[in-house]
Amino acid sequence: MATGTAPAAPLSPAVFAILLSLAEGDKHGYHIMKDARAPQGGGIQMGPGTLYGSLERMMRDGLVEESGLSDDERRRYYRLTKLGQSVLAAELERLDAAVSSAHALGLLPHGGRS
Amino acid sequence: MTRSPTTANRLERLYALALCLYPERFRQGYELAMRQTFRDALQDRALVRRTLIPLVLRDLVTSLAKEHLAMLRDTFARPALIFNALVLTGLATGLALALYAIPQQVLRQGANDPQIAMATDLVAVLERGDLAATLQQGALPTVAGGAGAVDIAHSLSPFVIVYDDQGRTLVSQALLDGKPPVPPAGIFNYVRNHNEDRFSWQPRRSVRIAAVVQRVDGPHPGFVLAGRNMREVEAREEQVGQMAALTWIGMLGVILVGTAVFGWYTRPRPA
Repeated sequence: MATGTAPAAPLSPAVFAILLSLAEGDKHGYHIMKDARAPQGGGIQMGPGTLYGSLERMMRDGLVEESGLSDDERRRYYRLTKLGQSVLAAELERLDAAVSSAHALGLLPHGGRS
Repeated sequence: MTRSPTTANRLERLYALALCLYPERFRQGYELAMRQTFRDALQDRALVRRTLIPLVLRDLVTSLAKEHLAMLRDTFARPALIFNALVLTGLATGLALALYAIPQQVLRQGANDPQIAMATDLVAVLERGDLAATLQQGALPTVAGGAGAVDIAHSLSPFVIVYDDQGRTLVSQALLDGKPPVPPAGIFNYVRNHNEDRFSWQPRRSVRIAAVVQRVDGPHPGFVLAGRNMREVEAREEQVGQMAALTWIGMLGVILVGTAVFGWYTRPRPA
């Protein structure tokens, strides 16, 4: 049952990677794992235990929900809730501010971001 | 790279066995989905097995620990369960304190009984005549062992000390370091107003006396102090304290085990 309590920032790497992956649309477990493993998805090496443990807690917090869609009864698809979208947006803003600050301090290589 | 279906099946069966290690509620919720995810990973040609297997093993170790901790938290960290345990702990603590305090007070008050009798009898004798003359006629009770005075640091025998109205020692059956012990300051003023006082007196470190002081009225007023070393009584009080502490620890153990068993049988179960 969703409690609707948003987790405090910063999000854990696994939660952030899952939210980022689901921002594209409904996905099943292995698709989320693949996205998370990719550098642009957070570069998180996540196994099924961590994935479903995180998904369970995220469902309890009301960040994600099962979409009910499935191409196979064993595959469960998940999607972001409104709360999940706003938590992701807040985390991205926080990270964006940190990256801007790092740029301003000359800590990032040139050309990484304008 | 071609992947052998036999090896994949074997790995999947092993993974299915490993899933049995997860808590029941988590397993029932996600076993099929986890197996499917593992199957998808095995079929993903972009993910080589020498990367996949260590990843899954690491994941098993960390997520097993995490899910078991979460299960323990869900089972035992419920507010109602903790509240009940705290209430029971409070009751057990109160009961253990009473188990100590009541016998301790009975023992301590009982330690005054011989002194009360001695002081009362002597005061009655002294009030009938001249204080100094009566003492010279041998009004004092006989000290155990027949000696003239007891070393109150070592002897458990009761003793009496008689003082005049100004608090000067007239006669003493007690000696401490070879001299009559000096009574606590202010005690005579208190007894002058209240007629009697019963108190624990520590004339020297590690020497504690159960003392009773009574007023001698009449034409030659004064005071009688009757005392007795409390060593034996305090040893019994310590035994009572140890028994109460053991009882308290036992009750806490029963509460802990009871809470654990009750928490386990009333844990949240899979829908």
